[in-house]
Amino acid sequence: MGKLLLATLAVFLAPIVGGLIAGIDRKITARLQSRFGPPILQPFYDVFKLLGKAPMIMNPWQVLTVWVYLLSSMLTVFLFFMGSDLLLIFFVMTIGAVFFVMGALSTQSPYAQVGAQRELITMLTYEPLIILVFVSIAMVTGSFKVSEVFAYGKPLLYQLPLMFIVLGYALTIKLRKSPFDISACHHAHQELVRGVLTEYSGPQLAIIEIAHWYDVVFVLGLCALFWATSAPGMIILLVVTYFAELVIDNVTARMTWKWMLQSVWCWGLALSVLNLLWLYAG
Amino acid sequence: MDILVFATVVLPFLAAIALLLLRDKGSRGLIVVGTAVVLAAASLALVGQGAFEYGPKSILGISLDGLITLLDFALLFVILVIAMTKLKNPLVAALTAIQIVGLIYLEFFMMDHGAAKAAPAMFADSLSMIMVLVISIVGSLICVYALGYMPAHEDHLHLARSKQPRFFFYLVAFLGAMNGLVLANSLLWLYFFWEVTTFCSFMLISHDGDETSVKNATRALWMNMTGGVAFVFALIFLQKTGTGLYLSELLKPGFSAAGAAALIPLFMLCYAGITKSAQVPFQSWLTGAMVAPTPVSALLHSSTMVKAGVYLVLRLAPAYAGTMLSGTLAMFGAFTFLTTSALAVGQSNAKKVLAYSTIANLGLIIACAGINTPAAITAAIVIIIFHAVSKALMFLCVGTIEQKIHSRDLEDMRGLYMVMPKTTIVALVGVVTMLLPPFGVLMGKWMAIESAAAMKYMPVTVMLALGSGLTVMFWARWAGILLSTPYPKGVPAEPQAGTVRGPLVLLAAGAVLLSLFVPFIYGGLIEPAVRSSHKAAGFVLDGFNFVNQQGVFYVYPLFLVLGVGFYFAWKQARKVEAADCVGPYLCGAQSPGDDKAFLSTAGAPVGYQASNFYLTWLFGEERLTGPINMVSGVLLAVMLGLLLGGVI
Amino acid sequence: MSMLKDWINKGRLKSPWVVHFDCGSCNGCDIEVLACLTPVYDVERFGILNIGDPKHADVLLVTGTVNHRNKHVLKNIYDQMPEPKAVIAMGACGLTGGVFREAYNVVGGVDKVIPVDVYVRGCPPKPEAIIDGVVLALEKVKAKLEAAG
Ligand code: SF4
Repeated sequence: MGKLLLATLAVFLAPIVGGLIAGIDRKITARLQSRFGPPILQPFYDVFKLLGKAPMIMNPWQVLTVWVYLLSSMLTVFLFFMGSDLLLIFFVMTIGAVFFVMGALSTQSPYAQVGAQRELITMLTYEPLIILVFVSIAMVTGSFKVSEVFAYGKPLLYQLPLMFIVLGYALTIKLRKSPFDISACHHAHQELVRGVLTEYSGPQLAIIEIAHWYDVVFVLGLCALFWATSAPGMIILLVVTYFAELVIDNVTARMTWKWMLQSVWCWGLALSVLNLLWLYAG
Repeated sequence: MDILVFATVVLPFLAAIALLLLRDKGSRGLIVVGTAVVLAAASLALVGQGAFEYGPKSILGISLDGLITLLDFALLFVILVIAMTKLKNPLVAALTAIQIVGLIYLEFFMMDHGAAKAAPAMFADSLSMIMVLVISIVGSLICVYALGYMPAHEDHLHLARSKQPRFFFYLVAFLGAMNGLVLANSLLWLYFFWEVTTFCSFMLISHDGDETSVKNATRALWMNMTGGVAFVFALIFLQKTGTGLYLSELLKPGFSAAGAAALIPLFMLCYAGITKSAQVPFQSWLTGAMVAPTPVSALLHSSTMVKAGVYLVLRLAPAYAGTMLSGTLAMFGAFTFLTTSALAVGQSNAKKVLAYSTIANLGLIIACAGINTPAAITAAIVIIIFHAVSKALMFLCVGTIEQKIHSRDLEDMRGLYMVMPKTTIVALVGVVTMLLPPFGVLMGKWMAIESAAAMKYMPVTVMLALGSGLTVMFWARWAGILLSTPYPKGVPAEPQAGTVRGPLVLLAAGAVLLSLFVPFIYGGLIEPAVRSSHKAAGFVLDGFNFVNQQGVFYVYPLFLVLGVGFYFAWKQARKVEAADCVGPYLCGAQSPGDDKAFLSTAGAPVGYQASNFYLTWLFGEERLTGPINMVSGVLLAVMLGLLLGGVI
Repeated sequence: MSMLKDWINKGRLKSPWVVHFDCGSCNGCDIEVLACLTPVYDVERFGILNIGDPKHADVLLVTGTVNHRNKHVLKNIYDQMPEPKAVIAMGACGLTGGVFREAYNVVGGVDKVIPVDVYVRGCPPKPEAIIDGVVLALEKVKAKLEAAG
């Protein structure tokens, strides 16, 4: 029962936390560029404004798909905080990702189509890595359950340092940060307009943003698992990781999807295999 | 018992002969639908009976073993004649001849026909029952579908004389052969049915009779014939080592203790399974078989016949458990899963995508058999069941679509919703049940990855993880482009023959409902099957959720939340009004009244086109097939080499 | 419910996303628009974002004269912005056609094609004036919404 309560609470709090993280993200990014930056609450203003806009869509499928996306992201967070099975949680998240792409593909818009194809490539890039991260966690703790990670007693980071970097790749992609912000980049007006998001607008865009916050909370939760033994440890790990993400975002340029697929698969696989071999040996 | 086995195995053959004799459309429909109903009912009744052993000795005074032997030779002789006259293919002829010689040697020089039978010729446990159900129900639905499909297919070809009697003869006879195959305990019987399915497959692939189909059918034939040769070798080998030619003998505990003497025939049988299931490097026969009329692809080349291969591998799993053959099979299956998923990404031909995805799923099943834990075997059986339903559905959808839009290219299916709304929805159900939770195929994949991780088979897990990502890619984009529509103003009605729509709707409903009942199917059929072969269950049901040490899969909570959520999303989508809808963003330069064009400076509309990424520079057939065949060939050779090394 | 309305109204004023359309400018105005994004002016302070998609935008910022070639483009972009929305015409050219007013191909100012809420003078206007223009546009939006209830 306690678990269910915690998970329900998480579902309510996740968008607030996710929005605040997005706000802090924008603030720090601005500071890194010697700007003042928007208020911390800016992402909430944006989302509420979008919710109040008149609907403008291309077909009903888009409405269907964004709701399914939101639903699956909420369920992902719920299951995660329930301490459930990592692989199952990930497959539930895939539902949302697939529907999100389906909605963009349903629009006939050239920019959304290109964006959707790129989004598929990003999924193709990070999915195997995340599965491998889960497999390595399971090899350490003997189970795919999140609750077992907490019961394990030692920080996973000691045994899975390279897997944490692999997860970092997935995190960068999922947060849509440079150099992997290829599918819906904010700055690629000429190239993509807004990529996979081009034809979503108003309330639909707001829902996507909220779903994205859930995803961010989930992926950061995954990072936190690597130091599950103490709350301060978790927070320090998250802060350091997120700051590293921001620095990477600000010092790198947007690369091509070919480069992303090749380099992330090569590095991700090499690091995973090394780490797994090390587990065997140890 | 007699009557049920008769209905599932012999009746289809009789119906097939009747179909050949009664050429008119009315009686054909009657016979096919009648056989379908009887088969489905008989298979259910058979399951109701529970596990059994059955040793029919003779029919009308003729010894059955003798009859099977006779038919074996007759069949091989027919193939030999076809190979020499029609195909003029020395390879097929040679492979057939080797089998004939081997069989003569086995039957007349090695076997003592007078000796008492060591085991009954037929037996059925839960695994066989599951196969019988899949064959008899999914298979029958596909046969009914063929009734609606074939006339249109023949119209298209402008045939002077209908070839449908012949077509349905093989199609329906095949059902009997398949049922015989999965119910056989005697390896000689199994071998006979095995060859019958190969032959049916050959005849059905070459059904249209044009050059490509004959060529592809020949390739399918010789590849499967190498499996047949391996099968005969395995039989001879087993006879030589004094093991009875029965599955039950191979499955006796301690069989593999004999070392290489046991593992070599097991490998030979697995090799036969690998060719039948079109695993790499034999994938080309299955992709080539896509020239056949679509019901054939659905029935033989996705939901049933190719499953015979994995059935055999899975059936023998306890026999090679704990040996090095098991580990290498896991590698081999995972390799097939990864590479054929990659090939599927590189394809825009819908039937080829389905073919590669079929091979990938079969590879996953073989990988599970190789992992060989109760959980992995559960995964394998789950995938067999759910893949059969969803994939048959997808094939039938593609067939239906192709007859309407005259193309099987994914790019031509853009906006299909505006042409065939009902079929599109059915196809979407097919994609979703193949790809996403809480449906069965995904559940199987989940079990497979978790059990691979539990066994710490690192290369296998890495390949499964990569392959899983690739699968998402090709399914998701397919689903997306089907919907690629402007605001559905006036979605057209879609008239369709009942024999076409019926199976489509039934299979779609089946794909969803079977997943809904998966805890019951598990408790009733899958768990007993795993228990009988591996003496332990892979999962326990805790409040209908699948639980083991590794993890947990919630069934009903997921169904409930996702179902309610989906209904809500659907309701929201229904609220959309035409007034809210605009065209796509085209930099403001869209052509008035045409969503699909820019306006040029000269005032003329200039169309644009977006297409899928097929990544052919990475995943194209031209690029990958060579290396894949090489690696998989080496893998097979290494397996055999290691085993032979054990003998010497 | 009313809390949601409050938040939405707050968001409307605090998050103007601007789509910038160069109708036929000499590029002088455009450079000033981009200058607003630099650290010196940093319009993101006010939640202003320069975005590329009219479907996401609240404010349409038009520079340059409208001519016969691109007037339908301007109209299309305006039509693809969801309500509530505002239009800013910027620079002498955007206001009236400016020095190009008499040219054979020129229609005139932006308001010949779509309704304009705010006119920002100058050739080109200073970044401060542009930012003021966006703030003014938001007030107009607010007034419009209040009038509509
Ligand atoms: S107003 Fe001046 S600076 Fe702006 S576009 Fe016109 S001429 Fe150029």
